[in-house]
Amino acid sequence: MSLNKISRRSMLRGGVAAAAILASPAVLRAQDGPIKLGALNPLTGVGGNYGPSMRAAIAGVVDQVNATGGVLGRQIELASGDTQTSPEAAVRAARKLIDVDGVSAVLGTWASSITTAVAPLCWESKTMLFCVSGADSITQLPHQGFIARTQPNSKLQIRVAGDFMVGEGMSRGVWIGPQTPFAQSSIDILDEIMKKAGHGYESLIYEADKTTYRSEVDQILRQKPDFLMLGGYAADSTILLRDLFQAGYEGKIIGPAYAVNASLLKALPDDVVEGIFTWEGSPAVDSSAYAKVKAILGVDEVDPYSAQTYDHASLAIMAMAAAGNSAGDAIRQSLRSVSQGEGETVDNAVDGLKIIAGGGAVNYSGASGPCDFDEIGDIVGTQFIFKKISGGKPGVYKRA
Amino acid sequence: MLELLPQLLVNGIVSGTLLAIPAIGFTAIFAVLRFPNFAVASHATIGAFAGYVANVHFGLPAFVAIVFAFAVAGLVGMVTDEIALKPLRVHGALTTAIASIALTLVLENCVRFAFGNELRGYDLPILRDWRFGDIRIGPQQVENLGLAIAIMVAVFAFLSFSRMGKAMRAVADNPLLADLKGINAEKVGRLTAFFGMGLVGVGGMLLGLGTSIDPLTGFRFILAIFAAAVVGGLGSIPGAVIGAMVVGIGEELSLIVLSPTYKSAVGFIAIVLVLTLRPRGILGERAH
Repeated sequence: MSLNKISRRSMLRGGVAAAAILASPAVLRAQDGPIKLGALNPLTGVGGNYGPSMRAAIAGVVDQVNATGGVLGRQIELASGDTQTSPEAAVRAARKLIDVDGVSAVLGTWASSITTAVAPLCWESKTMLFCVSGADSITQLPHQGFIARTQPNSKLQIRVAGDFMVGEGMSRGVWIGPQTPFAQSSIDILDEIMKKAGHGYESLIYEADKTTYRSEVDQILRQKPDFLMLGGYAADSTILLRDLFQAGYEGKIIGPAYAVNASLLKALPDDVVEGIFTWEGSPAVDSSAYAKVKAILGVDEVDPYSAQTYDHASLAIMAMAAAGNSAGDAIRQSLRSVSQGEGETVDNAVDGLKIIAGGGAVNYSGASGPCDFDEIGDIVGTQFIFKKISGGKPGVYKRA
Repeated sequence: MLELLPQLLVNGIVSGTLLAIPAIGFTAIFAVLRFPNFAVASHATIGAFAGYVANVHFGLPAFVAIVFAFAVAGLVGMVTDEIALKPLRVHGALTTAIASIALTLVLENCVRFAFGNELRGYDLPILRDWRFGDIRIGPQQVENLGLAIAIMVAVFAFLSFSRMGKAMRAVADNPLLADLKGINAEKVGRLTAFFGMGLVGVGGMLLGLGTSIDPLTGFRFILAIFAAAVVGGLGSIPGAVIGAMVVGIGEELSLIVLSPTYKSAVGFIAIVLVLTLRPRGILGERAH
């Protein structure tokens, strides 16, 4: 009998084993290789202003951790995807990160429509998803704990801005923005605030990808508003602000800082944007973590999203260490043990890993804020900052 | 809402006129080269950025920058057609149309590599609109309207009176007969790609003058261009103008009955109606 003769039974056994390995998620096949993390950011499209530095903040954390020996004795490899700020492209990129790269966590999805599209892929594959999107509906999805967001939800954001409008002496308000997952909830919340304050209020949802909003502006200005809230992103808000100026609107305007951003201010003349208010969840600008992101990116001011993705990467890595396991499910289970609680306060993953390795507990306080999550994955304890544009530049107006 | 009707009409006429320029370019390419070239999206963007460079970096006034937009978009149109689309034309219109979608993605990303994702504005003052009773119109809009009309007159004069314009019409009408008469179809094809994409580039810049530009500028009005050309009759240049007015005015007037969220539906509805009731379009001579 030949030694290399393969029996039918061993052949079957081998075949079944091979099939089982192939059928298992990529993450199981790579237990000994590097740990994979996925950066899924808007490198192009309307979020393209933020994506590259969001990714750089994540890469900075990964490099620092790798330089000190990695996590769980393994190096971390960062796989990147571009959402193109389009849900359809984001789903394709997320599929690749999850199915091909086998990442344990997807970090930094921007824009609610994108996070909403990607979320089911994550919880079905037990991959942790950290996002910077605000729509209330996101954390109400049946995500079983696989979503955590560092961006305050839109309910809170709109409530804070609505109170600001009332406080600034508004008598007739308008919400105007494109169709997004948070459009209707924004309208409803403002409606409630305005009714309570006894003020008049109108709203208009427009289509995002148009080249002019002259007729929409004519429609809302019939109501003679004295305070407008913008609900869109930078590209459509640029067109809208220009149309409002041309139409002779002289009242007050407030827009989210991600829409009335540096790119919008550069594209429009100073007199068009003079006096506009912006608001945003404020990064913890005085924190040591914020200083670390500044150093990674080599900038003087870090946008809120890059501060948040720095926190995403730090939290995911420390959660793996605390769980002693790099799987997405392990990150889900131990996230709150490193983000909040009685542990020692840390502002970066490298220090956190040392404490965890020594058997201690950590409480991460990040660049975007304290990074404490409630039971559905919403961030709690966010600070807001209001700015006013003057001479083409935003200046701090007040904090809330 | 009806009291807004005159204002909506004015807004519609202005946007229809601006839409007419790239629609003429699109339909001219269809007439001669016999395929819908969806790369118009990226060429509108390229024209807008070429005009931006001329206006902001070289300090040229808008009407001179338009010539720059025409030349650069036309040149890119001609070269990319020669390299990417011409070899595929023998495989049919559908293959070439799909390749043109791929081409538009490549070119859009080239613009992104060169200029980044930021929004950019032309070096022009933004002025308050003039008011005539209840109707308002912007000085920039009037200037754009004037430029668009002048360009259309030039296009019609070129097609009616110049030798090359007549040759283009001959090839569009009957390529075989044109060949018998000794017209070089290849040369005419090349010129059409230049001329058509040049016009699309001008359209992109005219739109950019009234708004701001980014790598997605052209993508935002591709549906409206396509709808205008189909409604007017694919291949018919006067048809493209009429189609653009129908789509432009239709989109604005739709606000009376529809939520602004559905503005783009007007383009789709127009395409569906035309394909159902009059497949050759308003002025088209044959159904394609």
